[in-house]
Amino acid sequence: MPLTELTLTPTAWLLLVALGGLLALDGVSFPQVMVSRPLVSATLGGAVLGHPGGGILVGAVLELLSMRHPPYGAAKYPDTGPAGLVAGAAYAAAGAASIEALVAALIGGWATGWAGSYAGHARRKLNGRLVANTEALAANPKRLERLVLGALAIDFGRGALITAGFLLPAALVAGLAAGLPVTGGGAAFGAAALVTALAASIGAGARTTAPDARAWAMVLLGALLTVTTLWGGP
Amino acid sequence: MKPLPRDMRRAWRRTFAVQSLWNYPTMIGAGLAYALLPLLRSVNAGNPPALEASMRRHLESFNAHPYLSAVAVGALARLEFDGVDEDEIRRFRTALRGPLGTLGDRTIWAEWRPLCLVLAITLFGVGASPLVCVLAFLVPYNIGHIWVRLWGFRRGWEHGRGVGRLLRELPLDRLTNRLWPVTMFLLGAATVLLGREIVETAGPSAESLPLLLVAGLTAVPAFRWPNRFGRLAIGLLLSIPIIWTLLALAA
Repeated sequence: MPLTELTLTPTAWLLLVALGGLLALDGVSFPQVMVSRPLVSATLGGAVLGHPGGGILVGAVLELLSMRHPPYGAAKYPDTGPAGLVAGAAYAAAGAASIEALVAALIGGWATGWAGSYAGHARRKLNGRLVANTEALAANPKRLERLVLGALAIDFGRGALITAGFLLPAALVAGLAAGLPVTGGGAAFGAAALVTALAASIGAGARTTAPDARAWAMVLLGALLTVTTLWGGP
Repeated sequence: MKPLPRDMRRAWRRTFAVQSLWNYPTMIGAGLAYALLPLLRSVNAGNPPALEASMRRHLESFNAHPYLSAVAVGALARLEFDGVDEDEIRRFRTALRGPLGTLGDRTIWAEWRPLCLVLAITLFGVGASPLVCVLAFLVPYNIGHIWVRLWGFRRGWEHGRGVGRLLRELPLDRLTNRLWPVTMFLLGAATVLLGREIVETAGPSAESLPLLLVAGLTAVPAFRWPNRFGRLAIGLLLSIPIIWTLLALAA
């Protein structure tokens, strides 16, 4: 599609950047009600640009791709709030109608998620420095209360900056990708690779949820019953 | 001495920000002290040195699942109000860390959240509207989330030192044993439904069923080698635009 048809206005960009900050906050700092999951954040991103249906498609795929990164303790995992928001908005900005834009939006979201993760790692280190002087904090608890507010503001800023940095490039790349001269075979290859990536990812992610290898039997049962229902009819 | 309901509510609300100062040396130690602060101020009213000493011990390293940190806040507040010895509070605090972390990871991150998510994705796959799908995830998930925080805070306060036994007696293992097969079944269904959506986005040149069957075969070895296949998934995603570019150049 011509880039002039991209639907990302300055007002929408600002709204999305502010949303990115809020969603990044929800991921770890406050209140963890899981609006930061890609399923929700990408739908929001798509909805802001008029394509909630496209947004949720990107969000659902990102959700399953990030399933193998549960937020255990000090582990590194993608910052899914801004990631979903950027991916959903990029796909919507490019018209939310082609496999090329879908792949580009997913890659944009994936890159945003890991950039957010590394920024989150830096934030954890900064927090460590902020609370290092426990004697001063114990002597003046109001200082601790101010630090919490400051840390929340920093985390909001981190999410907003990550979103601001990735949103426009992701939307532009998705727009360019939507205009790629991909042939029928190329589109089929893209769909096959994406669905295979999804299957590999859920296989990997299932290990974090199910206690043992019996999980694959239940996944296959669910998949086979759905295939039979969808394609087995007369 | 009993805390004011207002201080109890304030402490409970603060558990939502328990990870705001998450850091590598003390993890959620500072967040825990922040949540406890209204109650510590109440129990040490008019005694600044005692408040300082209690703050110092609660600023030490601590970790727990964020939702279950409410159990720690309730139980530790109870110990402070009962006037328990400082060393015993420290020992109790240390003993709580492990169970509250693993229990939350095992039940909430690994079971409850994936179940609610795949349920919502399955609904999307069968044609529900985006709003319905998002609400189908957020509402049940957060009913569980808020219940855990409320239940944990109340039980922590009621049981104090005995909260460890309460956690051991919880039927959560039985619950997770029942949940994971449902989650896995829905995960299979959701993947097929989502795969179909992707294939339809690719246009008429791609046929759903053969693609989905080939993809399904990839999932099986991924259970055996999750890390390798997780990386393969991202590698495949990144390879798509490269192949497209090569195809475009060749054409």
